[in-house]
Amino acid sequence: MQSENYTDQPGETIAPYLEADAGEERSGWRSHRVRLGILAGVIALAVAYMAYAAFPGNTLYFVTVSEFVDDTRLHDGQTLRVAGALSPDSFRREDGSAVSRFALGDKEPDVPGIAAGSPEMAASYVGVLPDLFFNPHSEIILEGSYDGQNEVFVTDNILVKCPSKYQSLQAENPDVVPGAAVPQGGY
Amino acid sequence: MAAIAGQPTRKTPWRAAIRDARLWLLLLAAVLTLVDGYLIFVVAPTDAVLGHIQRIFYIHVPISILSFLGFLLCAIAGIGYLIRRGESWDRLAHASAEVGVVFVTLALITGVIWARPVWGVWWTWEPRLTTTLILWFIYVAYLMIRQYAPTPQQGRVWSAVVGIIGFVDVPIVYYSVQWWRSIHPVQVIGPEAADDALEPIMARILIFSLVATLALFGYLLLERMALRKTEDTLAQLRRDANSD
Repeated sequence: MQSENYTDQPGETIAPYLEADAGEERSGWRSHRVRLGILAGVIALAVAYMAYAAFPGNTLYFVTVSEFVDDTRLHDGQTLRVAGALSPDSFRREDGSAVSRFALGDKEPDVPGIAAGSPEMAASYVGVLPDLFFNPHSEIILEGSYDGQNEVFVTDNILVKCPSKYQSLQAENPDVVPGAAVPQGGY
Repeated sequence: MAAIAGQPTRKTPWRAAIRDARLWLLLLAAVLTLVDGYLIFVVAPTDAVLGHIQRIFYIHVPISILSFLGFLLCAIAGIGYLIRRGESWDRLAHASAEVGVVFVTLALITGVIWARPVWGVWWTWEPRLTTTLILWFIYVAYLMIRQYAPTPQQGRVWSAVVGIIGFVDVPIVYYSVQWWRSIHPVQVIGPEAADDALEPIMARILIFSLVATLALFGYLLLERMALRKTEDTLAQLRRDANSD
C-alpha cells in the first residue's frame, strides 16, 4: 500500500523524503528505540519501587508483640502492623457498641493461644471482626498506631493469618457429620 | 481434525501426530477436570479451621505452580532461541509466556477470592503477593516488548532477554514466605514443604488437581504454538504478496 502512494509522486521528489524519514527513524525522540527505552525505563522504575516498598529489607511486614513492647521508638504514633495471638479472656465489647477491646500476646507457630510468659499489648478496634478472629489457631495482625496517652494500640484494620497446615474437620472433631455447618464461625 | 477426504495434504506425519496430541490432551484435560471438580467439592474433607473456602486451595496451588512451569519453559526456550535462533524455540517461548501470564492471573484472582473471607482483606502488600504481582508485570512486559519492538526479529531477541532475567522472580516468589514475614501460608508442596502440611487425602487430591491442570496447561501450550505457527505462515504469505 505504501509503495502505491509513493509511485504516484514524481521520482525525484521521493528520495529526499525517504532519506529524511530514515534519518528520523534512527535519531528522533519519536523513534521506536527511544519510545521502547522510555517504556522499559518506566516499567523498571515501577518494578524497582514496588520491590523497594515491599521488600522487608526496608520494612518488615509486621513486628511481634514482644518486639513492639521492647522497642519504644515504635510507640510514637507511627502506622505499623503488630502480629500475635488473642489473649484468652481479654476480649470486651459493651452491648450495642462497635468498640472492641482486647489484648494480644506472642504467638508460637502451631500452638493455640499465646506463648507462655509473653508480654501483652492492649488494643482497641471499631468495626466488624473477621470470621476467624476468635479461632485459637489464628494469628492476628493489627494495622494501626499506638496511642501513648491511653496506652492502647488503636487498630484501623484487622487481618487474620491462618496456619499452613490443613486438616479435615472429621480428623479434628470426629463427631461432626460431613457437610454439617462448620463450628467456630468458619466458612 | 483429520484432513478432508480426497484433498491432498502437505502435513507431515510428525505434524499430524502433534494435532492428534492436542486433541487427546483436550479430551484428557476435560475428563480430568470434571473428575477433579467431583473430588474437590464432594470427596475432599472440609478444613477444620477454614471450612469450605479452603477447597479453592486445590485450584489456587496447581495453577500457581504451573505458571512457574510456564515461565521456566519461557526462560529455557529464550536461551534456546538466543543460541540457535530457531523459530520453534521462539514459538515455545512466546506460547509458554502467554499461558504463564494467564495462569498467574488466575492465581492472583483465586488468591484474592480466598483472602477476603480468611484474612479479612482482598489484598495486602506483603512479600508473597507483591512478588507475584511483580512476576505478573514482568511477563506482561515480556508480551508488550514483543509487540513494541521495531522489527519482529528484535522483539524476539529482546523478549528472550526479559524472559530469562524475569525468571529470577520465580524462586523469589516461592521462597518469599520463608525469607520474610508474611501473612501467606508457607509451602505445602515442593522442596520446602513440611511433611505433615496436608492430610494424606488432601495431598492425593492436590496431586490429582496438579495432573488435571497440567493436561490443560499442555493443551493450551500446544494450541498456542500451533496458532503462532499459523500466524507466522500468514505473515510470510503477506510479505511474499507485497514483494511481488
